[in-house]
Amino acid sequence: MRSTLMATLSIMIMMAIGALYPNQSFALDAEDAPEVVELDALSDLYEPVTFDHAMHVDAAECVECHHHTTGQQPVDPNCLRCHATSEETDSISCGECHSAERFSPQDLKERSNPDLYHIDKPGLKGAYHLNCVGCHEEVDGPTGCQDCHAMTEKGKKQFQVSIVPPKAGSKKDAHE
Amino acid sequence: MKKLLNRRTFLKGSLAGSAAAVSVGRSQKAMAKDFEGYPESMGVLVDLSRCVGCRSCEAACNEEQNLPAPEKPFNDFSVFDEMHHGQKRRTDETRYTVVNRYDVPEIDHPLFRKIQCNHCQEPACLTSCFVNAYTKTPEGAVIYDASVCVGCRTCMVACPFYIPAFRYSSAFNPRIMKCIFCYDTRLKNGQPPACVEACPQEALTFGHRKELIRIGHQRIRENKDQYVDHIYGEHEAGGTAWMYLSPVDFEKVGFDTSVPKEPILNFVKDFLAIVPMVLTIWPALFAGIHLLATRKDGIKKQQQTEGETEK
Amino acid sequence: MKKMAQTSQEIPIVDHNRNDGTLWLIKEKILLGLSPEEYKTMLKRNPVNWFLFVLLGVGIPLIIIRYLFGLDTVTHSSNDYPWGLFLGFGLFGMVPLSASGFLLGTTVEIFGRKDFVPIERLALLNGLLGYFFAVVYLEVDLGMPWRLPYPMFVSLGPAAVLFLVAWHVATYLSVQIAEILPAYFEWIGWLKGKRFIKSITIGLTIAGIILSTLHQGALGALFTYAPTKVHPLWLSTNFIWIHFFCSAIFAGLSMVIVVSTLCKRFMTWRCDERFLNNIDDLTVKLGKGCSYAIITYLVIKVVGIAHDNEWAYLLTGWGNYFMLEIAVGVILPFFLFTIGVKNYLPNLVRLAAFISVLGIIWNRLNTALIGFNWQLYQEVPRWQEVWVTCTIFAIYFMVYRFILYRLPILYEWKGDK
Repeated sequence: MRSTLMATLSIMIMMAIGALYPNQSFALDAEDAPEVVELDALSDLYEPVTFDHAMHVDAAECVECHHHTTGQQPVDPNCLRCHATSEETDSISCGECHSAERFSPQDLKERSNPDLYHIDKPGLKGAYHLNCVGCHEEVDGPTGCQDCHAMTEKGKKQFQVSIVPPKAGSKKDAHE
Repeated sequence: MKKLLNRRTFLKGSLAGSAAAVSVGRSQKAMAKDFEGYPESMGVLVDLSRCVGCRSCEAACNEEQNLPAPEKPFNDFSVFDEMHHGQKRRTDETRYTVVNRYDVPEIDHPLFRKIQCNHCQEPACLTSCFVNAYTKTPEGAVIYDASVCVGCRTCMVACPFYIPAFRYSSAFNPRIMKCIFCYDTRLKNGQPPACVEACPQEALTFGHRKELIRIGHQRIRENKDQYVDHIYGEHEAGGTAWMYLSPVDFEKVGFDTSVPKEPILNFVKDFLAIVPMVLTIWPALFAGIHLLATRKDGIKKQQQTEGETEK
Repeated sequence: MKKMAQTSQEIPIVDHNRNDGTLWLIKEKILLGLSPEEYKTMLKRNPVNWFLFVLLGVGIPLIIIRYLFGLDTVTHSSNDYPWGLFLGFGLFGMVPLSASGFLLGTTVEIFGRKDFVPIERLALLNGLLGYFFAVVYLEVDLGMPWRLPYPMFVSLGPAAVLFLVAWHVATYLSVQIAEILPAYFEWIGWLKGKRFIKSITIGLTIAGIILSTLHQGALGALFTYAPTKVHPLWLSTNFIWIHFFCSAIFAGLSMVIVVSTLCKRFMTWRCDERFLNNIDDLTVKLGKGCSYAIITYLVIKVVGIAHDNEWAYLLTGWGNYFMLEIAVGVILPFFLFTIGVKNYLPNLVRLAAFISVLGIIWNRLNTALIGFNWQLYQEVPRWQEVWVTCTIFAIYFMVYRFILYRLPILYEWKGDK
């Protein structure tokens, strides 16, 4: 909770800096970023994730997670079609663009706008996992569910972890 | 006089026959119209390249549909090695959805494929059901009414995806068990099914079927070399509400690519078309043959009686 | 029974009156004119009954277990093979063998071939019982007997092929009961009823043709719902209903030949002169019908393969198996029928009929079970399933025998008609 506050605070500071120098366009600096971010908006079956932002800053470029929002030029040629000269945005927090209410009637309605290009933008949960797991697979980071977040009691109930599977030998009896 | 009586009794018989013909013939007509699917129908696009095999969808489905407890917990991944008759796991009376692992040589990591009811636009189960237990709702779900089902299991024979399962274990309450798109608890209220909500990877994209096809083609177009240029389910079995994207040829990840690109019902129409024909032509034809075949007998009899009276 | 029939003047019963002029009571008619003790002795003396006793001794409890604890107690309860032996053999096998009723009905009543009269009732009874027991098999498979009328009256799905089968089999069962009733009316001596049925015979017969054409075909058409599951050599979606209908013609006729042979051999005491003197002639004539139907079937089978261009499949293992079925189940009986008819060899025709009956059952099993899921795996039925299937067949046999012993099917009623 504290780190979220910090994150918000630091974003606000950055915005203030942006307001001070309106004509000067510059990419956000990694050093301005918070050290740790608590990802808790979606916590339900799993505990929140304490995300070591500082560590990941060393491992990856901002653009790899934040796309064009930090003012860095995207790598994907497809994004470059529109975002080659995009400036940094007011907010770079994931939830700003990636809806936590994915697939709600509201969300689907917004996406059905025929002029909208980003019809395939993942929701917040999808964005987190696709980005994290995708990269972790490439760099051999942790990919197991509980490597990043422990299961809550609710999660244990839904996954029915208390079940002891029948032993291989007695399997036939369990079938009959 | 005897002859007259014969003809009258004959007429009586054929009348009864054609009355039956009319009543059955009418009911046959109702089905043969074209159906392009409900315009507002919803669906799900499954992206095999995103699925990591976490089985969250299976767990969520089990809870949402109050299904029996599984043999192994949902975070037990040894299920991916289970084989029955050389087949990977399938839906049954305890599970409406199942994720299976496929090791494809050309990719360095395994692929996972979720199976569940595909909710066809023109479902074979529905069209084969003689008690009308199935309904395709305008929202896109294929739902089932156990209270009228007699348990003939033709729907299981008809489903090209091997989805409906039967509760064989019950003597007094046997019924079909199959995914209903969480119709009564969620879809009806505009919510996505439990499995979609549970998926961390957004491997399952819920939306209007029409939009999903746009999204699917966009994803294929903009991620060159990452997908096979085909949406499985766009046309298979006449189109399904659940559709799939795959990074490798679909048959390599367990899909039946021989499923025709038209509704299963089309294969049955040949027979259905002859029904009214037989019902109307047969009585007349065989009555005619009867009259011809027995004409000589009649004449003979008449001559005999005439001969007798002359004598 | 044979011995008793030889020693007694009055047995078998062929009339309402005893030799001394008094009337037989219904109870006595049921006991075949024997005393209860004699009847028991007769039952015990027949080794077939002991065999049936053992069969039913295990089979009946199995059926009761099935009804109390579910279908999975006797079958594999496979979701991949929803239909097992009960339907594969019981429904898909029994129905074509029971086409005899409408075929002989048509021959005698519509085509006016009165020479077939001695065997007409046997054919009608064979039809009725075959259908009835097909329904019994179906019911054992489905369970929930209270839901049997659902497709008719509670929830209708008229666009489904099975709807047609259900209605037609139900209607046709009634038609067949009506057609066989005259024999019963003669036996109990209620002539009014018989006369009424006689007055609607033509209507009943034509209704029988329509219903038979459609549901024999519809049973085949059921598999058009599974174009990807049934092996293409056994499923031509355009032709399968014709295949099923056409094969039912020689299957039904062959079944009559087989049953009449068994009657002639093992139930001679019950047959009258008219039946015994005509049966060789009729067998050859039926054989002629069979050979026409069987060659037609063979041709449309080939047309089906040509139409779907499935020649390449013939070279596979499945193709060899298919050709074996055609060779043994179709071509062999065809030649035997032809030779038997040409040279007037009734026994050869009987052999041909026997083979073609087995051939048809084999074909239906191939379509419904063996060639089904041909790309998946093969399922071997559990012994319980086989046993129950045999048990129901044994009950069919017993009911068949019970009726033949009594009603004027194989003999003409000597009393008022």
